[in-house]
Amino acid sequence: MMKYLSFILVAVTIFALSSCDKEKNEVIEEPHVHEEEVITTVRLVITNNAGFNKTFSYKVDNGFNSSSPATPVIDDVVLDANTTYNVDVQVWNESETPAEDITEEVKEEGADHLFLLESSPSTGAGSIGFSNGSKDANGDALNQTLDFTTGDAGTGQLTVTLKHEPTDKSATDPPGAGGETDAQAIFPVTIQ
Amino acid sequence: MNRVVFALMLCTCCFSTAVAQQKCDIHIDVLVSEAHNGQPVYPVVVHIDELNATYETNEQGKLVVDSLCPGKYTFHLHAIGHEHYAEQVNVVSSTELKFELSHEENYLNVADVHGKKANSILQDADQVNKAQLAANSGKALADVLQEVNGVSMIANGATIAKPVIHGLHSNRIVMMNNGIRQEDQQWGGEHAPNIDPFMADKITVVKGAASVRYGADAIGGVVSVEPKPLLQNGGWEGELNTAAFSNNRMGVVSGMAGHNFTKIKPLSFRLQGTYKKGGNYRVPGAWVANTGVQETNYSATLGWKEHHYGVELFYSHFDTDLGIYRGAHTGNQDDLNAAIASDKPLVPATFTYDLERPRQHVEHDLYKAKLYADSRLGMWHATYAFQKNYRQEYDVLRKENNKAQMNLTLNTQTLNLNLEHRSLWKLKGEVGVDGIYQENYIQPGDRIFIPNFRSYSGAGYIIERYKLKDWNLEAGVRYDYRQFELFNPEGNAGQVVRYLLAYRNLSWTIGAQKALGDKWNSNIILSNAWRAPQSNELFSSGLHHGAARVEYGNKTLHPERSYNLNLELKGSITDKLTTDISLYTQYIQNFIYLKPGVDLLTIRGYFKTFNYKQTNAQLSGIDFSTAYSWTDKLQSDFKASFLFARNVTNKDWLILMPADRLRLNTKYTFDISEKLRETYINVEGKYVFNQWRIPSNFDQIDYPRPPIAYFLLGASVGATIYAGKQPLDISLTAMNILNQKYRDYLDAFRYFIDQPGSNFVLRVSVPFNSN
Repeated sequence: MMKYLSFILVAVTIFALSSCDKEKNEVIEEPHVHEEEVITTVRLVITNNAGFNKTFSYKVDNGFNSSSPATPVIDDVVLDANTTYNVDVQVWNESETPAEDITEEVKEEGADHLFLLESSPSTGAGSIGFSNGSKDANGDALNQTLDFTTGDAGTGQLTVTLKHEPTDKSATDPPGAGGETDAQAIFPVTIQ
Repeated sequence: MNRVVFALMLCTCCFSTAVAQQKCDIHIDVLVSEAHNGQPVYPVVVHIDELNATYETNEQGKLVVDSLCPGKYTFHLHAIGHEHYAEQVNVVSSTELKFELSHEENYLNVADVHGKKANSILQDADQVNKAQLAANSGKALADVLQEVNGVSMIANGATIAKPVIHGLHSNRIVMMNNGIRQEDQQWGGEHAPNIDPFMADKITVVKGAASVRYGADAIGGVVSVEPKPLLQNGGWEGELNTAAFSNNRMGVVSGMAGHNFTKIKPLSFRLQGTYKKGGNYRVPGAWVANTGVQETNYSATLGWKEHHYGVELFYSHFDTDLGIYRGAHTGNQDDLNAAIASDKPLVPATFTYDLERPRQHVEHDLYKAKLYADSRLGMWHATYAFQKNYRQEYDVLRKENNKAQMNLTLNTQTLNLNLEHRSLWKLKGEVGVDGIYQENYIQPGDRIFIPNFRSYSGAGYIIERYKLKDWNLEAGVRYDYRQFELFNPEGNAGQVVRYLLAYRNLSWTIGAQKALGDKWNSNIILSNAWRAPQSNELFSSGLHHGAARVEYGNKTLHPERSYNLNLELKGSITDKLTTDISLYTQYIQNFIYLKPGVDLLTIRGYFKTFNYKQTNAQLSGIDFSTAYSWTDKLQSDFKASFLFARNVTNKDWLILMPADRLRLNTKYTFDISEKLRETYINVEGKYVFNQWRIPSNFDQIDYPRPPIAYFLLGASVGATIYAGKQPLDISLTAMNILNQKYRDYLDAFRYFIDQPGSNFVLRVSVPFNSN
């Protein structure tokens, strides 16, 4: 009987001791958290041959892991009427320092991604038309770079959606594309 | 066991011829006493195989057997709370035989108390017996538990499921794995219990609050998975089970072998293992992407059992890989709405066994050592266990890196000391203490959903029962103390904040059981239980991809307290008609639930948010079952379960409660020949109502409304084939025969996909034993 009791005591002691080791204490008491593949910002780098060069940002930092999320930063996209622009759509993680450009990764995995751009209104005053969207390695749409052609002066709204693993790469709106939304930025638009 | 009886019957034949001519006037006085203190034991049922006669001891522990012929006789002694004892005695002349009984080894762990003479705490309990386990072999634990009236399940598609008892689940249910409280991150709705049902000889479900016996948290009830006791009478026993499922092309094989050494009588062991592999499953008209499953489980038991003490060592390993339907990983509310609007799974798929992200890998190890010894005071038990639960979650990534994004370890040590004391002034009972130490941590670089923590708990309890002629009375009380030390990274900088929380509480139970004539039994049980808020309820701050919603913990939560009243009437109306009615009501103070908050703007769009809040709730219901024997061979049984779950404070219904359900089963059993026995045909219908009892603000919280009612038809045929003396059980079962398209309210994937279509299962089972 005593033999067994001592066995139990030894077992308990071993586990108690093992739970006391310093390294584990550190692991428990100082959780080091790293959220992978965070996107905080969608940027539109817009240029044209008339020397226009502006960057518009849509930033929502730390939406999930904070009970008091930072106020979103949403730029007004201000463009000239009836003009064509070259647009570079970028995604960034600005929660790291320095900020991390995720666009390259999206391009590398281009076949699994799709940028969808929607303008409201779709035509007329305050609208933006889209053309020359870039392709992925398979020749399917990616739209990481594209051209904007603005309509008449007015106001509107531009929605940029980055889809992961879309089921239809020829789609022009998010429901049609399927897959999972990685980022969605809604910019106010002023055409002047 | 059958072999033993058979062997004894053979002996009887030999002896009956040998002793036939001898003089049969022997008189034997039998005296049965307690092994240690020498007190008489009564009532003891004594069965003598050779005479096929049964006797019972009187209050002096005595009985008389008259007019015996000389010869060998096998005495079997059965007494509640004592080990079954058998001995063969060579009788030559009149004599006095003295037998000693020692307390049953697992007396205290016998959770089946219901309807039996009060040999343990009174509870509303039901069992899944060996036959039901066999008929459901290969299914996940929660699925097997659907056999029990009043139990439903909460699921994530067809591969992840958890039992729901009277509307409560996860944190509010305690799972006992071979007598040890299972600790496997049970708070998560998408964390299925890490227990292999093939390990079980029977599974007991206690419905209603049962804290006194099983510890804090057992507000909703207890599921206890109990293996067979180790083999004691020498030789080998074993079983080989196989099952093949058509729907997801799943194969399951499970084997068990046990041995008791004839040369070293006290020593026994058992080995058991299960392997399972299934691929994508099918809903009517489509495959479901990434829903495969793979499981490898094994366990080993080693026992040394002397008459008055013993030791048992147990180890088990559970290992599973689970795919999660790709389409359930939605990006935002719009994605979710698109999935809801679609008639078909949005992610196209074919059949494959391969798993991709999102997927889970979970391992659970259990080490257990149990000592027991008989003494003048009573039976002592000391049980120590160490559990390690390791959960990995592989998220959908932009770029594959072979890493899991969450690697969560939960280590738990438990120690229980228990004394089941001898009768004192007609009081029988047990006292004991419990200690638990737990640590939970992520790996550096993981994402976090619940904080790291250490927790210490201690408890003491006493349960006593008093037996009158027609009444059994019982009362128990328990005191718990629990301390949490949590480490939570907070704010944008991830600064670690340390929290120290402590909870203490008293819980109790009182119950009475009364026999009403010979045919009816009634129970009334009033019990109280409590539950400390868990780390997810206190601290979670994360996104549920499947439901496109964010949940926020609440550090100010108080413990839940539950008061549970249960009335049960069970018996037979005629020889052919039996019935069991159980009425329950449970009032839960500070019931923790999720209350909708303001929408949250994220980089993926808007999400619904939910905050953990408290209210007072009342869950009432009825479990009704009745069985009717049309003939000896044809039997029907009917089960109905209704639940009314109210938010008392808001005068509203509670969300996400199981819908009412009915089940009708008819079985025809017959023997075809000596070689083909116990043949049966079984037809089963199950009807689940639409859940209309939903909160008035349902449309703002959840969309769409709960799915419509559904009816499922199932059938099975089976038989036992005898090749000589070797039996082989074979059966073919069809589930959802009509390939019915339906969704279930408690399935978190109800937004995306239908429930599985028809599934045909072929099962072959070969038991073997040698003595």
